[in-house]
Amino acid sequence: MLLPHDFDADASPERPKVLLVDDDEVTLMLTAVALRERGFEISEASSGEQALARLDDWAPDTIVLDALMPGLDGFATCQALRGLAGYENMPVLMLTGLDDEASITRAYQVGATDFFVKSTQWSLLAGRLRYLLRSSRTRQELERSKSKLARAQDLARMGSFDWRRPSGLPGGAAAAGTAGADGLTLAPEALRVLGFGPHDRVSLRRLVRMVPMPERRGMTRVLSGVQTQSTVLAIDVPVLLVDGRTRIVHVEAEPEFNEHGHAVGYTGIVQDVTDRRVAEDRIRHLANFDALTGLPNRRQLIWRTERALDHARRLGHQAAMLLIDLDRFKVINDTLGHAAGDELLVEVARRLRGCVRHSDQVMDSALDTAGVRSHRTLEAVGRLGGDEFIALLPEVVDEADAQRVAQRILDAMRDPVWVGGQECFVTASVGISMYPADGQTVADLMRNADVAMYSVKNTGRDASAIYSPMLAGRGREKLELESALHKAIERNELVLHYQPKIDVRSARMVGAEALMRWQRGPVLVPPADFIPLAEETGLIVPLSEWALREAARQAKVWGVNFGFADSIAVNLPNRMFERSDLVETIHQAVSTYGVPHRAIQLEITETGLMKDLQNVIPCLHRLTEIGVEISIDDFGTGYSSLAYLTTLPISELKIDRSFVRDLGITPQSSAVVTAIIALARSLGLRVIAEGVENLRQMEVLHRLGCTVMQGFLFSRPIPPDELERWLQQTVLPRKAPWIVQAGVEQLEPPRSTGGRWP
Amino acid sequence: MTDSTPPPALASTAAPPAITALVLDAEALATLVQLDPTGANQLLPRVLTTYRNSLARLMAQLVVARWPFDAAVLRLVTHTLKSSSASVGALGLSALCAAAEQALRDGRLDDLPRILDDLQAQAERADAAVRQLLLSTG
Repeated sequence: MLLPHDFDADASPERPKVLLVDDDEVTLMLTAVALRERGFEISEASSGEQALARLDDWAPDTIVLDALMPGLDGFATCQALRGLAGYENMPVLMLTGLDDEASITRAYQVGATDFFVKSTQWSLLAGRLRYLLRSSRTRQELERSKSKLARAQDLARMGSFDWRRPSGLPGGAAAAGTAGADGLTLAPEALRVLGFGPHDRVSLRRLVRMVPMPERRGMTRVLSGVQTQSTVLAIDVPVLLVDGRTRIVHVEAEPEFNEHGHAVGYTGIVQDVTDRRVAEDRIRHLANFDALTGLPNRRQLIWRTERALDHARRLGHQAAMLLIDLDRFKVINDTLGHAAGDELLVEVARRLRGCVRHSDQVMDSALDTAGVRSHRTLEAVGRLGGDEFIALLPEVVDEADAQRVAQRILDAMRDPVWVGGQECFVTASVGISMYPADGQTVADLMRNADVAMYSVKNTGRDASAIYSPMLAGRGREKLELESALHKAIERNELVLHYQPKIDVRSARMVGAEALMRWQRGPVLVPPADFIPLAEETGLIVPLSEWALREAARQAKVWGVNFGFADSIAVNLPNRMFERSDLVETIHQAVSTYGVPHRAIQLEITETGLMKDLQNVIPCLHRLTEIGVEISIDDFGTGYSSLAYLTTLPISELKIDRSFVRDLGITPQSSAVVTAIIALARSLGLRVIAEGVENLRQMEVLHRLGCTVMQGFLFSRPIPPDELERWLQQTVLPRKAPWIVQAGVEQLEPPRSTGGRWP
Repeated sequence: MTDSTPPPALASTAAPPAITALVLDAEALATLVQLDPTGANQLLPRVLTTYRNSLARLMAQLVVARWPFDAAVLRLVTHTLKSSSASVGALGLSALCAAAEQALRDGRLDDLPRILDDLQAQAERADAAVRQLLLSTG
């Protein structure tokens, strides 16, 4: 017969092995026969001594012992058995007489599993044995699963505990076998979690004291709440262990009720969740803080601002948002490299942090409980992205308060920053928006701080401004302009106007400067109104490329129409010179229209050139090589390094209009012009004066040695067909006053009547 | 049940089934037979022979233990004989053993001699009956 396979088929032998011990040979023989017949494998022993000897080489599943035997009786045998390794939990059935109560008691005392009254009803005995074996296996399973659980708990740094309500209260005491006086029992694994040895007795009071003070009060409150309500307990608490380590322990417990429905205690687990919490904190930190500077990121800033606004709304005070944007950061990034740029941002972040009462951590719970001033912990500087930072001031008395912080920020930027092995000066533009005046929501405040910040950028940077609706109007205008400019190129709204360059000695046009105009509907937008925006948005690149193509086309048209063989000068921002494809762009443009490279001349402002000299020089060399001449615009206004000037591959200096304007009025201006002309001459460069508006200026320039000029005196910048007309109607007939004036010199025949260039 | 004590010699020759039936409980014997229904294992003769040997040994121990009085041996003997006698159906003897065991446990030593006398007599009857049965089955 098979035993029921309750747990594990392998663990229930087909024929359970029984060691039968009885000094009565008749009973022994009969019992053995009867049990064999019922599916047991029997080994017989007629005395306790014999039985113990048998165990040396044979391991039964159970042992049946006659209680009364000569020599080593059943009791002594059982006791000896329990001392043998492997037999501590072996099921032992003690056979006693029906009326022998003393033997029954003794049987249990010496560790027998059960007793059975001797009888000839073998099937009862067999049944009892099977039950014994099954319960023994159940018990083994239980032990095994208990130790598995213990090991699993150990691995999970978890352990269970029990807490019984102290006696006297309903349902108390009974269960608290190994519990402390206060009803707390901790499993060895739980003790280990809490840093104790497996045999330490730990009271609830002691555990509570291991929680450091600020949290202890909260925990005590939770505990007493849980206890009176008999609700489920689940909390994480920091615990200071005996060895000085601080761990975070998760406590989770459920109430237990007796049959009357009274809560008798709690049963649950403690778990060391420190590692998990550290990981969670790390994740939270990554999600909320900027990896480079360690400052709160956009997400965290928005979160904080939302909370700060809630508070401000409730308490009826003002709050301020400062948007801080570094000036010229891109230049630093581009010239010194991104690593240096990052270094700079880290240093700026450090300085900004010092300008406010920056709190890194904000706890949700603290916000709710720390009283009316808790929103102060929201105050922080954060990085919005790139070189944009935000300072959140959760409570300010007035605008002046916010402006003071802005000023502190601007001051903090004054000291030079060492990055990439060199000293950098960085300034910032700060835009301020106030709650509630400038917006009710985070988005409103951010947008308006942005508007205010841009107004600072537009008015010279390195300052702060408070938002006003007037600024917003301008901002909107700008947005519209930007999107319209995007479409201007594809809609062919851009045009080039040309201002002739005149050699006054010969009264000839010796070239023209192309100037961009934007025909926006009926309005002709001057370059000052859209070129800065184009520079800011990067649209300047396609704009410049278009201008190059258009100038080349025009050179071709003029060549065909009147033999134009000079150059058209195109103004390029210095960033175009940094582009590796500039040479290719020009090559494409001239090739398309079949004009030589020298048909295009490039003008770069002195300031633009010097700002970015190192990056621009290689390009200038390549341009010169293919025949494209370079003219330095606005010369005299920047800070040219004369040393560089001698080595630069340039052809022409263009005297800035400001010096020309003052010619004949202030002696200084003619001194400067004289110096520029001398310089150009000694370097072998051509010199040209722009902004020539009257004959007096022309005369002086001429006298000082500059003969090539452009200006209203000769012609305003005009559309190309108008220029052709001007040539025919004004220059060729020699009707203009300046020709008469210039005419003192010997006149050459106009070049346009000469041979055509190839 | 008569209390005549047949001499051993007589018991060996004359053993009518009636005596066996009187001394040995049929139901208990039937239980024994059921353990080896076909008799293939010779269980009944083996058990009965074992019982006789055991009975002879235990009775000898009992006689010795009566004088000088040895309660421990008497208790062991009566205890063992109680269950083995019950096994072969010698219920009368088993009952006397139980009575003796109980008297020993309770310390009623006054009752003991009479019980032991009866026990010895009944043991001889049981032995005779078993021998009779052995002969008839063998």
